[in-house]
Amino acid sequence: MSLLYDEGQQAIATESRRVLEARVQTDQLLPLLERQGEFHRPFWDTAREQGWTALALPEAYGGLELGLVELGLIALQAGRSLSGAPFLTSSFGAARAILDFGDDALRGHWLPLLARGEAIGAIAFAEGQSPLPANPTVKFSGGKLLGVKDAVSAALHADVAVVLAMNDSGPVLAIASLKDVERIGFNTFDNSRCIADLAFNGAPATVIAQGDAALDAAQHILALQAVITAHEQTGGAEVLMERARDYANTRRAFGQTIGSFQSVKHRIAEIYGLVELARAGALHAATREGHADFLKAAAAARIQATEAYDTAARDCVQVHGGIGVTWEAGLHLHMRRARTLAMEQGNMLFWEDVLVNELAGENA
Amino acid sequence: MSDLVAYSEKANAWLESVAAEFGRSARKGLSEAEDLALGRRYLKARFDAGYAGINWPTEYGGQGLTHIEKVAFETEEMKFGMPTAYFGISLGMPVPIMMKFGSDQVFAKERVLKALQGEEIWCQLFSEPAGGSDLAGLRLRAEQDGNGWKLNGQKLWTSWAQYSDYGVIVARTDPTVQKHKGLTYFWVDMKAPGVTVRPIKLAGGDSHVNEVFFDDVKLTDDHRMSPVGGGFAVAMATLMIERYVATDSAGFGPHLDLFISLAKEVEVNGRPAIEDGRIRQAIARNYAMRNGLDAITARAMLMMQAGMEPGAEGSLNKLVSVRSRQRLSEMAIDLQGPGGAHFDEHAPVKENWQTSWINAPTGRIAGGADEMLLNTIAERILGLPQDYRPDKAVPFNQIPA
Ligand SMILES: Cc1cc2nc3c(=O)[nH]c(=O)nc-3n(C[C@H](O)[C@H](O)[C@H](O)COP(=O)(O)OP(=O)(O)OC[C@H]3O[C@@H](n4cnc5c(N)ncnc54)[C@H](O)[C@@H]3O)c2cc1C
Repeated sequence: MSLLYDEGQQAIATESRRVLEARVQTDQLLPLLERQGEFHRPFWDTAREQGWTALALPEAYGGLELGLVELGLIALQAGRSLSGAPFLTSSFGAARAILDFGDDALRGHWLPLLARGEAIGAIAFAEGQSPLPANPTVKFSGGKLLGVKDAVSAALHADVAVVLAMNDSGPVLAIASLKDVERIGFNTFDNSRCIADLAFNGAPATVIAQGDAALDAAQHILALQAVITAHEQTGGAEVLMERARDYANTRRAFGQTIGSFQSVKHRIAEIYGLVELARAGALHAATREGHADFLKAAAAARIQATEAYDTAARDCVQVHGGIGVTWEAGLHLHMRRARTLAMEQGNMLFWEDVLVNELAGENA
Repeated sequence: MSDLVAYSEKANAWLESVAAEFGRSARKGLSEAEDLALGRRYLKARFDAGYAGINWPTEYGGQGLTHIEKVAFETEEMKFGMPTAYFGISLGMPVPIMMKFGSDQVFAKERVLKALQGEEIWCQLFSEPAGGSDLAGLRLRAEQDGNGWKLNGQKLWTSWAQYSDYGVIVARTDPTVQKHKGLTYFWVDMKAPGVTVRPIKLAGGDSHVNEVFFDDVKLTDDHRMSPVGGGFAVAMATLMIERYVATDSAGFGPHLDLFISLAKEVEVNGRPAIEDGRIRQAIARNYAMRNGLDAITARAMLMMQAGMEPGAEGSLNKLVSVRSRQRLSEMAIDLQGPGGAHFDEHAPVKENWQTSWINAPTGRIAGGADEMLLNTIAERILGLPQDYRPDKAVPFNQIPA
């Protein structure tokens, strides 16, 4: 199943593209690579002002009651413009965890703040290499969290986190305010992701799911985010394809534009194929929320989009020759972003396993 | 034990003896200026120990041996991470070319000796904004000026120009003839009036390449190293002179052992990564490929020892190894989970997956882009036809821009 975008959805795409292209420039993003803890404020201000933070939340909490399709469209445009902060996806994930699994008190407190972009959410499931550890080392006991979550995106600025932890009887999913939680930042190759280790030293938290239900809930949140991220990756790959095409149409060597060399032309055409597969897969997944095959669709979308963005980054640089590897041309912003997006919410190895487990389960 | 094995062992023993002073660990945390200074001292020590200019004539300060010993030494040297990068191009191409084509051999000899001892550095000023893969498309002009020449224009991507004392340069002396035929080859003093060097920062954060501007830079005619209009042939000779170099089947990135260690340390979805089929396949495939490249190199060495010309398959190394290093580095970052985002831009590319990954694309472009290497294989080795070239047989100034 897929869908044809209606007028409203098309307007979201056009308008978000217009505003982001006007407000986000490469020369503003480059310095952020060398500063820890900073993000691109105009991007985040735009997201709040345009209501993107509220887009996919219910009206009851100040949301706009739209869904994954619309948020996906925004993410695609954000990917084109190299979103200056990870908060759109991380806050959406946190909000959905609270909405889908939290009680009224949690919802009433956090959702309006998240919808207005006044609070930022983070997802703290991963430990070590595992995006979704079945036996997390972070402990939950007596209503408090103890332990360290590694390399959490958005953690340097987040106000609330969804934490996968362990109590006496098994895994739990808990909501914790990060007010007094230590954030250990470090240098990364994509510093505006605001990545830090979160060291919980007795921070109070509220459990929203336990046992297998906690792992299922966490998996569901990752799948929702994966669909948004797949759109963002598609946008990044798409803009790289366009840049490669434009460069190949203007750069000359041996008395012709380099686009006349079949090896260059075909390389760009291959990116086109990857982008369109990624786009279709992402949209398909966005329309499957609430259906039994959602996880499968999300995993497929994520795999295709990761492949598209990593490949587009490699190949677009190659088509540019020496210019492609300069700091100033900024193509490395996409190389870096392709890698961070490939790692957040579970990498290729994770989603391949998720997908095959789903498919094998179906066959059993 | 063959002579060559003995030679390698002796070289290795010497390298071991100076590793603490100059090698990988001594270089940790040094600024670039300090590292360069260390590199100069290393070159002096290497010269004194008899491992400089191994295949160059003794009257130029060389050892008068063959490229077999040279490659053998470089292969050993590579293992120690010595600070040689600043001198690689200098000693690899411009300096031997100076030795071969410099008109004033007394001057040339002086330069060669200084370069071998790390006192002077040479750069190679070939590429320009409009002349990269298409080198003969370059535009920098050399006009006759009295008995000498006057240079005007711009070079681009000149490695280490910021530390260079001299450079070799190809300039257009006649724009009214076909592009290859209007070029002339010179050497230039990088400190001469009118030469401006501006570093270019690269994607990985370092700035070893430069833009170099020439504004009425005057040369006497004894700077000329080719016949007027015969510069392209010397440029090609420059690119060919380093045919016999130590290769690195790791594509100048980390050794496969590092990937295997990582795979033994980490888990993929709850199981040891080293037991994961995808990881095992990546290791196996990379090993097989590197094994093939190493075997090509070993066979080339045997052929050279037997007095034969190594085969054309040696040209595969950079093409194949750098591409796969790029992919393997991405996978290694994935294996590290979210913590794979940790980044130290100064970490050595041979020891760190992140810097290996971010710098890999330069290896697929510098020294001939992948596509050009493939063209060379297709056309020169396999005899396939060249692409359509509308600029052929057209005077340079009539090629449509
Ligand atoms: C780190 C680094 C160090 C360097 N150091 C030096 C140096 O010290 N001295 C020096 O002179 N130069 C140096 N170079 C320049 C290098 O040689 C050129 O960058 C390289 O030759 C490519 O040229 P270009 O950048 O102009 O790319 P272009 O030639 O514009 O190539 C752009 C794309 O078009 C493709 N293409 C071009 N022609 C064809 C064709 N016929 N068929 C198929 N595809 C084609 C290329 O493969 C590439 O993908 C360096 C470059 C780098 C990146």
